Amino acid sequence: MKYEILEHKADLKIRAFGKDKSELFENAMIGMFESAKYEPAFAEATAGKEIKKEIKVSSLDLPSLLVDFLSEVLYLSEINHEIYHQIQFRKLTNKNIEGNLFGEKLKTIEVIIKGVTYHSLDIHQKKDKSWEATILFDI
Amino acid sequence: MIFRKDFKKISDWLWEIPKSFRQDMRVPARVYVSEKMLEDIFRDRSLDQLINLTCLPGIQKYGLAMPDMHEGYSSPIGGVAAIRISDGIISPGMQGYDVNCGMKLLRSDYLEKDIKPNLENLATEIQKEVPSGLGRGRQIKLSIEQINKILEGGAKRLVEQGYGEKEDVENCEGNGRLDWADTSAVSSYAKNRGRDQVGTLGSGNHFLEVQKVEEIFDAKIAEVFGLFRDQVVIMIHTGSRGLGHQVATDYIKEFMGLMGKYKIQVPDREFACVPYDSPEGQRGLAASACAANYAWANRQMITHFIRKAWKSVFGEKASQLVALYDVAHNIIKKEKYIIDGKETGVAVHRKGATRAFPPGHPEIPEKYRSVGQPVLIPGSMGTASYVLVGTKKGEEAFYSTCHGAGRTMSRHEAMRRVSGQEVVKSLESKGIIVKCWSQRGIAEEAPMAYKNIDEVVEVVHNAGLSKKVARLVPLAVIKGE
Repeated sequence: MKYEILEHKADLKIRAFGKDKSELFENAMIGMFESAKYEPAFAEATAGKEIKKEIKVSSLDLPSLLVDFLSEVLYLSEINHEIYHQIQFRKLTNKNIEGNLFGEKLKTIEVIIKGVTYHSLDIHQKKDKSWEATILFDI
Repeated sequence: MIFRKDFKKISDWLWEIPKSFRQDMRVPARVYVSEKMLEDIFRDRSLDQLINLTCLPGIQKYGLAMPDMHEGYSSPIGGVAAIRISDGIISPGMQGYDVNCGMKLLRSDYLEKDIKPNLENLATEIQKEVPSGLGRGRQIKLSIEQINKILEGGAKRLVEQGYGEKEDVENCEGNGRLDWADTSAVSSYAKNRGRDQVGTLGSGNHFLEVQKVEEIFDAKIAEVFGLFRDQVVIMIHTGSRGLGHQVATDYIKEFMGLMGKYKIQVPDREFACVPYDSPEGQRGLAASACAANYAWANRQMITHFIRKAWKSVFGEKASQLVALYDVAHNIIKKEKYIIDGKETGVAVHRKGATRAFPPGHPEIPEKYRSVGQPVLIPGSMGTASYVLVGTKKGEEAFYSTCHGAGRTMSRHEAMRRVSGQEVVKSLESKGIIVKCWSQRGIAEEAPMAYKNIDEVVEVVHNAGLSKKVARLVPLAVIKGE
């Protein structure tokens, strides 16, 4: 499972999973887009035109890095009218990300994500060495 | 955990959790609810969030929650904190990501019967004219220079350019422009996001409604507001869109890194804050004023598009659509109150709460000054909305009142219980026209997912925070997406 949607009265809360940190970050991004129903313009419009966007983020610590990464992805998505489903990292530490996002043109959005919050934010490595994060989005 | 026994009853409409409840509280927490509603608020984390709010450095008198309160992030939705400017903080996380999300109400001279035959056509035209901003509709891209002008000038700038009437800015909180806005405090990220979203509705609970005045509670004040029974009015609910979301994101990130420097501790990181009276705090305030101005410009441009639709349906000689008022419900404002016998400057943080100034207040339009500020309260989709008026008694709540019905069920649960199609059908069976590009997202806004607006308004009316003037009911609902 890449992510699950958790209960919240007004906003969107998800729990994302990953066998390592890079998979966790990618799944958090996928979970964010899918659960707010950001939908790509499939097939004919974009066939053969894979979109690639450079991304660079620096933060205070690992939880902030996750929030700042997702905020940066939302910015790129809105400015370029794109949606991303994959990231290739050149660098991923507890404070820095450098890499490339891959995706498609955006077709529709059901609910716009207004912000990635720090409220009840959690990111940790589990006993089996896999990773898990809980994130609340303002929608 | 917070239990019923932790509350002290102040009146039938006001309940208090004393400062002794948790060690880090700086002031008591006060909740405006009926006894019946009190039971409901134990069902989510909004009370814990309210207790967290009372811990903010510089908070005065009480941490407050309005009857539409529900769980949010940092502050509960419906939260109000008045924070002393001299030694307190400023928290963009408390204001939230939709800076100056708010309401605007336009009034016409028409009665319901005058527009009934053309209602369907009007709703279609409005939907066509006002883009959601999610890729559909008009695509105008402004330059950064034009965006800067809007951030400085707000709704006033658009009216000067011919997108409205003088009365639009007169009848608007802050005259549609906060003059402490400084565009150099706004990132290029935020400005870029704002370039193609002036005059767009957005998604979620944002909406446009053609309504009629169903009931008048105070004839004298209604007359001053220009409201009468069966009159057609149009309500607008939206905010500062991507530009505001980015301003909030930027300053929450920046302030998070400064908490150590200023040795500030808060119970929830999302409250990220710095001293109000610090260079960073003032920049944050100037940026948030820019976002607020953008929101007023956004609602002004939507007004312009609605008037265009209105004229295309009813002709050039149609009744005017006059702006009755425009008021924010997510905002940080500098205000003055007498606290402990001394005039004190405070930064009132309202998160899902509406300012409601009393009669005689210098910051409300002259024509309303003898009766008080109009307060615009939207109900959930398809239910009633209200026009209230500010009162002197509202001072106890830093002149704040509710902002809507308030959610009572998660979006997820609403979707499990009802489909978008069922919601639309049920509204149509009541004679309400619904225009939406897709029915996805409609189920989440089903009336069953919200508190009863009549009960919420009853609380603020009985508590005296604002008084009922008119009840409005929808004739047509237009959603962004």
